[in-house]
Amino acid sequence: MMEESLINLTDAPRLMADFLGRMFPPDLSWSLSQKRPFDPPLRIAGAMVAITLQISLLGTAGGMVGALILGFLGAENLTPHWVHHPIKIALALLRSIPVILLAMLFFVAVGLGALPGMLAISIHSIGMLGKLFAEACEEVDPGVWEAMDSAGANWLQKVRYAIWPQVSAQIFSLTLFRLDMNIRESAVLGFVGVAGLGLWIENYRRAIDYQSVATLVIVTMLLVLIVDQISFHIRRRLR
Amino acid sequence: MIRIEYLEVQYGRQPPALTIEQLSIKRGECVAIIGPSGAGKSTLLRTIKGYVRPVHGKVEVMGVNLATAGRRDRMRVHRKVGVIYQQFHLARRLTVLQNVLCGRLGQARFWGRLGSLVGWFSVEDRRQAWSAICEVGLRPQVHQRGDTLSGGEQQRVAVARAVAQQPVIILADEPVSSVDPAWAEDLLALLTDVQTHHQATLVMSLHQPQLARRFAHRIIGLRQGRVVLDCDPASLTEVGLKELYRGSDVISLDGTTSRPGTGRTRTA
Repeated sequence: MMEESLINLTDAPRLMADFLGRMFPPDLSWSLSQKRPFDPPLRIAGAMVAITLQISLLGTAGGMVGALILGFLGAENLTPHWVHHPIKIALALLRSIPVILLAMLFFVAVGLGALPGMLAISIHSIGMLGKLFAEACEEVDPGVWEAMDSAGANWLQKVRYAIWPQVSAQIFSLTLFRLDMNIRESAVLGFVGVAGLGLWIENYRRAIDYQSVATLVIVTMLLVLIVDQISFHIRRRLR
Repeated sequence: MIRIEYLEVQYGRQPPALTIEQLSIKRGECVAIIGPSGAGKSTLLRTIKGYVRPVHGKVEVMGVNLATAGRRDRMRVHRKVGVIYQQFHLARRLTVLQNVLCGRLGQARFWGRLGSLVGWFSVEDRRQAWSAICEVGLRPQVHQRGDTLSGGEQQRVAVARAVAQQPVIILADEPVSSVDPAWAEDLLALLTDVQTHHQATLVMSLHQPQLARRFAHRIIGLRQGRVVLDCDPASLTEVGLKELYRGSDVISLDGTTSRPGTGRTRTA
C-alpha cells in the first residue's frame, strides 16, 4: 500500500496542476441562464457570506456565554474540588469531539440548515474557551479575593469585583480569536451540509463547476482575511 | 468585645501556632501585637476574624463564640470586622471610589447584592464611601485607578474600604510594613484617628516596636504562640524587647536593628 501511495506522489504535481487549471479563471459572471444547474456564484456569494457570518457570530456568542459560566465554575481557585474537577473533565470532553461529528449529530436533532452549524460551533467553543477562561481566572492575584471576602462579599460579588476586572481583557481577546477560527470552521462544516459558503463550494464541486468553486474559495479566503485583520486590531487595543 | 479563653490553634501536625489561656480586649481599645516572625501575630488576627478555627478554646467576638456558633451568627460578626492587609490587596484596575464601594458589598441584603453585580450601589452605600474617602484624604484621587497610586495612597484606600464597612472591630496585619517608612507614622496616625472617630476596636500587628509604643494604648507581645508581654507603652523596656525577640533580629525602640550573636547594629 505504501508503495502505491509513493508512486502516486510522482503523479501528484501533474494532477494538482490539472485540477487547478480547471479552476482558472474563476467564474465572475452575473447573468442567469437556463443551462446551468445552479446560479452563478457571485450572485449567491452575498447571502452565503451572511449565513456563514451568522453561524460563526452566534455560535461564538453562545460559546462565550457557556464558557463564562463553565469557565468560572471550573477555576480551581474559585470553587471546591467537587465542582471544578468534573467541569474541567466535561470541558475536555466537549473539546475532544470533532466539530463535524457534532454538526452531524445536530442534523439528526434539528434538521439541516444553519442551526446545526451554530450549535456545533457553540458546543465546541464552550470547550475551547471554557478551559482558557478557567486558566485566566487561576492566574489572578488571590489577595483581592480575600480582601473582598473580608468585607463580607458573596461568591458572585467576589467574582464580579475581584476576578472580572483582572480577566475581562483576556476574555474578550480570546473570544475574538475564537471567532476568527470559527469562521473557518463554518466554511468547512458546509461540506457536510451546514448552510453557507462551504455547502455551495461542495454543490459546485459535485456539478463539476470548478470555476465557481474557485470563486467561492476566493470569497471565503477574503472573508477570513478581513475578519482576521479586524480581530487583530481590536485585540491589540485590548492589551 | 474580644475574649479569648484556653485557645489552641494548630496547623496540621505542627506544634501549636497559638496557645493563649486568657486574653481580653475591651471595646474601643487600640492594641498593638508585636513579636518575631512566626510568633503567631497573623494567626491571632485571622482567628479573631474567623478565618482560622481553633482546635479547642473559646474565641468570643462581639458576644459570639466563633468556635461554636452557627453560620448566621458568624456571618453577622464577619461583616462587622474590617481587615487591612500588609499588601493592600486593592482591585488595581478599579478606581478609588469603586474599591471603597467594595467595602459595602457585605452590607446589602438580597436585591442590593444582585444590584451590586451590575455596579449598582444604594444611596447610603455611596454616602458612606464618599465619607470614608474624604476621611482618608483621597478626595482628589477619587476617580483614579488603583494601580496609579503610591503605596501609602493604596493603603489609605484600603483603610477607607474598611471604614466603609462601618466596622465594630478593625484588624490590621502589618499595615505599614509595605509602605515607605517616611509615611508609616502618618498612616498609623490616620488609622488611630479613624478608630477613635468611629469608636471601633483596633487590633494591629506591627513589626516595629517603636511605632507600637507611639500609637497603641496597649502592647501585647507574642512569642512562639504565647503571650509573653501585655502592658501599656510606658512600661515597655529594652530588656523586655530583647527577651521577646531573643534569637531573631531585634528592632529596638530607637529604630535600630541588631542581629543576634553578631553584636552588629544598623539603623532602620
